Amino acid sequence: MAQATVVRPDRKFLEEIVAAGGGDLKKCFQCATCSVVCGLSDAGSPFPRKEMLWAQWGLKDRLLSDPDVWLCHQCNDCSIRCPRGARPGDVLAAVRQKVIQHFAFPSAMGRWVNSPRALPLVLVLLPVVLLAGALGIRGPVEAAVGYVDPHGHEFYAHFFPHWLLIVFYSSLTLLTFAGLLVGLVRFWKGMQGMDRALGSRTVRTSFWTAAWGALKEVFTHVRFGKCTDQAARRTNHLLAFYGFVALFVVTLWATADLYLWPHVLGDAFPQYPFGLLHPMKILANLGGVLLVVGTFRAMMARWKAPQDGRHRSTSFDWVFLWLLFAVGVTGFVVEIFRFLAEARYGDTAYASPMAPPAYAFYFIHLVAVFGLLVYLPYSKFAHLWYRLVAMIYAHQTGRNDGVRPRERTVTGTA
Amino acid sequence: MEKNVAVYLCRGCDIGGALDMDALKAVATDEYKISLCRDHECLCGEAGRELIRHDIQDGVNSIVVAACSHRYMTDAFTFDGVLTTRVNLREGVVWSHEPNHEDTDMLARDYLRMGIVRAQKAALPEPLQVEVERTVLVVGGGITGLTAALEAAKAGYPVVLVEREAELGGWMRKWSKGIPHGPTYRDPQDTDIGFLVAQAKNHPKITIHTGAVIEKTRGQPGQFDVTLRKNGSVVEFRVGSIVQATGWKPYDASKLEHLGYNQSPDVITNVQMEEMLAQGKLARPSDGKPPKRIAFIQCAGSRDPAHLPYCSGVCCRVTLKQALMARSLDPEVEAYVLYKDIRSPGQYEDFYKRAQEDPGIFFTKAEVTGVRNGGATLKVEADDTLLGGPIALEADLVVLATGMVPRSADGELIRKYLDAKRVVEKGEAGAQLEAAKQTVEELRCLEGGEILQLAYRQGPDLPVLKYDFPDSHFICFPYESRRTGIYPAGCVRNPMDSQCCREDGAGAALKAIQVLEVTARGETMHPRWGDMSFPDFFLQRCTQCKRCTEECPFGTLNEDEKGTPQPNLARCRRCGICLGACPERIISFKDYSPEIVGSMIKAVEIPDEFEGKPRLLGLLCENDAYPALDTAGLKRLQHSPWIRFIPVRCLGSVNIVWISDALSRGFDGILLVGCKSGEDYQCHFIKGSELMQTRSKNVQEKLKQLALEEERVRLELLPIDQPEKLVEIINAFAEEVEGIGMNPFKGF
Repeated sequence: MAQATVVRPDRKFLEEIVAAGGGDLKKCFQCATCSVVCGLSDAGSPFPRKEMLWAQWGLKDRLLSDPDVWLCHQCNDCSIRCPRGARPGDVLAAVRQKVIQHFAFPSAMGRWVNSPRALPLVLVLLPVVLLAGALGIRGPVEAAVGYVDPHGHEFYAHFFPHWLLIVFYSSLTLLTFAGLLVGLVRFWKGMQGMDRALGSRTVRTSFWTAAWGALKEVFTHVRFGKCTDQAARRTNHLLAFYGFVALFVVTLWATADLYLWPHVLGDAFPQYPFGLLHPMKILANLGGVLLVVGTFRAMMARWKAPQDGRHRSTSFDWVFLWLLFAVGVTGFVVEIFRFLAEARYGDTAYASPMAPPAYAFYFIHLVAVFGLLVYLPYSKFAHLWYRLVAMIYAHQTGRNDGVRPRERTVTGTA
Repeated sequence: MEKNVAVYLCRGCDIGGALDMDALKAVATDEYKISLCRDHECLCGEAGRELIRHDIQDGVNSIVVAACSHRYMTDAFTFDGVLTTRVNLREGVVWSHEPNHEDTDMLARDYLRMGIVRAQKAALPEPLQVEVERTVLVVGGGITGLTAALEAAKAGYPVVLVEREAELGGWMRKWSKGIPHGPTYRDPQDTDIGFLVAQAKNHPKITIHTGAVIEKTRGQPGQFDVTLRKNGSVVEFRVGSIVQATGWKPYDASKLEHLGYNQSPDVITNVQMEEMLAQGKLARPSDGKPPKRIAFIQCAGSRDPAHLPYCSGVCCRVTLKQALMARSLDPEVEAYVLYKDIRSPGQYEDFYKRAQEDPGIFFTKAEVTGVRNGGATLKVEADDTLLGGPIALEADLVVLATGMVPRSADGELIRKYLDAKRVVEKGEAGAQLEAAKQTVEELRCLEGGEILQLAYRQGPDLPVLKYDFPDSHFICFPYESRRTGIYPAGCVRNPMDSQCCREDGAGAALKAIQVLEVTARGETMHPRWGDMSFPDFFLQRCTQCKRCTEECPFGTLNEDEKGTPQPNLARCRRCGICLGACPERIISFKDYSPEIVGSMIKAVEIPDEFEGKPRLLGLLCENDAYPALDTAGLKRLQHSPWIRFIPVRCLGSVNIVWISDALSRGFDGILLVGCKSGEDYQCHFIKGSELMQTRSKNVQEKLKQLALEEERVRLELLPIDQPEKLVEIINAFAEEVEGIGMNPFKGF
């Protein structure tokens, strides 16, 4: 028999989970209805029953190092069927939030970004100050290095030059992504350590095979598809996911178009700003539409969800959705302004009366992008990475092997 | 009084159309020379009954009603001062056999013969005369006893309440709060025991004896003479019935050393925890420091074949209460509850939820593997938790949720001890003495454990069944015990919570009152309600074989020095087991005796062996098997026309002589059907069908003597709800006997 693990309940952690939306977890009486109704749960190590017990006992280390909480896509079938109203789905969501905060590096960021009281400061004041500061140092910097911006006559570049945009966001994002990497490595080691401590670690495949398997799942949303009761959620997530991916690709392309392709691919570049029929523009607009539609639908679903007992949303969820939505909508507003202004005023649009309102929206857009990208490792956006890492871990340790096909026929008590 | 028998044939309910009524009538008028034989199209109707009433006025005093089963229309055919004999032509004949068939007619005629014979031989029972003292004795002053005393007193019956301890109130007096007993069922609640005690003390009809134990209880229902010893003095009085509410004691925790008891002073039982909570201060026994982590181990010894195999049903809720109370005394306390299952039935689910909501109370399913003394803290080790792998919890105090053991005394075992002791004292020689000495050694611990001190041959206390609970088949016969007029209630009967104790106390009080009134009318209690017949012992011919005194399930019979039975008829439940036991056939009831049933058997016409018509006798217990036969008739299930049934009071009331008589008369087979025996018995008289199983070994001897096949006698046990099975048994038996061939004694 393995050495007995000494269990010391952590009441503080228990209270944190309760505060993060797992308020009903103490009601659980371990009947396992949740694990039975779950279409994603692995037969060998089913969730969310064990997580409910761990949460009840405040077993912080186990929960934070548990890959299984990330295998849940929160259809909340378990919460609806729970005979006690313990809402396991919401508890897992709260645990995921605690994981992101726990592994955040620097850890103060994790607390700060998600503190509802700090929201105005985090989401408005700081980006405004930083962006305004960047604009403020633009002139002196350009003068100091003697740089004349070749794109200075373009509508938005006139206001916020490309080089500044790229330097500003790349540096901050790379900085926080370094923090993200630290967090993910710790998370990985945590999962490994807990599995070893419990004597349950098995490695089935190489990291790369596992990663390939996980990525396939991410891009097809095939696991999410097993939450059949909530097919609409998967659709919304797919729309927003591919919308974001498209916009991210376009952003990378645009940067390369400006500063890399001219040196690599020759005179045809830069092509920026793209015309309406440019493939990248089409991709961008398509991505934008997907993002806005996806997030809008997700927000509507969350708005209505409490009525049918599905989700309970916390500020953690709402802030993320609003940021995505705001980025998409302000992006379109800004785009429309540019086309209108350029159509009417041509090359001197930047000096036209349409410029000030357009720049105001552009500024808002940049603030929203800041909230989304720079805070990614600390906000709900981090689920992208933590879930991916957990899925890779799950593939590597064979956790998905026992997922059984879901019985859709519901019979009586016979 | 001169017998004046009249026979009434009913033609209703298909009877008239299916039988040769003239031939039937001829049985009465020609064979038995009964001048008064009438038939009617609806005998149970007003016109039919008027017909009977008219004849009664003219002097008829024994009527044979050949109509439906005796289990239907009983009231319609009951007339004052008249012996009624029912012949079952409806369920037993026309509904279960081919109409207008020769064999069906023969069957009906045989039943009528049997009925007429009974009407001639049996007499109308006269009620037993017992002078009843209408006072109830309640033994035990806990919540059950107090409730029983108050309920009986409120109903107008004087009560004597006897309590061993110096004060009333039992366990509950010692506790500060109980589990909730009213809405919202969420928080520990005051027990109200003080209110009950005050009510009992102030009730003019209740006499209270505290610090008193029973020295002797002599007599029978309506006439129990009780001697108490109270503070060195003796108190004597007479009561009519007894409620035994002696409660429970905690399971002996010293047997739970594997859970740390006796290994560390900080491992305590839930009873000790209760005492600590009552003092309002949490302190570890070892160093007096306030414990901050309290582990509750549920089912400590319970549901464990090595200790208490049963669930006491309250420990879970007691732990919930104790955890909540400890938390309210000190909010820093963490309570860990390790359970097999939390059992919180009904409204108590809300109490469980309340405890779950408390952030300082932690629950997990677990098999506790050990409690180790780790210096300042205890380590509780457990497996099979859902936390994954074996776990250990650190605790400052461990509370063992031990179960309830009935505070009962095994009357039969004590009697065995006393008998052995007598043998040893007499000093008789031989192997018997050695065995007796050994028994005395083994059972010496029982000495002084008597509670009721009954002056009964079969032992001084209620017989017990499983796990030392008094033998009382609560599902079928609520509150009844194997001693008429004595009703166990509360935790001595079954582990239960205080609310159930109150209900149980009230229920037992009603039974205690009922037995007084029923006995005063000269009737008996369950299951032969209203029966006024009682056994008569023709003692001149008694051989002192003691079978009746041993076999009576209710301890009716005491013995004198020589072993002659001394009946206490108010204890009797009229099952007739003594009648079945008696080899001298000296025990009889006015309407049920070896002679009456024997004559009925002899009244059956046995065709000679060349006619190819076998004859079988069926003796059916009238509690389950006979009703099942009626139901089979109601369902029109057809059974063999070879068999003739006689209802018997209990399979135990079957005297072997009936079987040997039937075989020597030429019956080809005998079927005996009774109720389930053994540990989960359904026998309404507890021992009856079991006794028959023993006696049927003697029957096999008899068969051997007669050189008959042993398959000719079959014993079956059957519950009331299986008429199909009964018909299957009958038909299969008939077929088997046909296969064996005819009884060679036919015609002798």
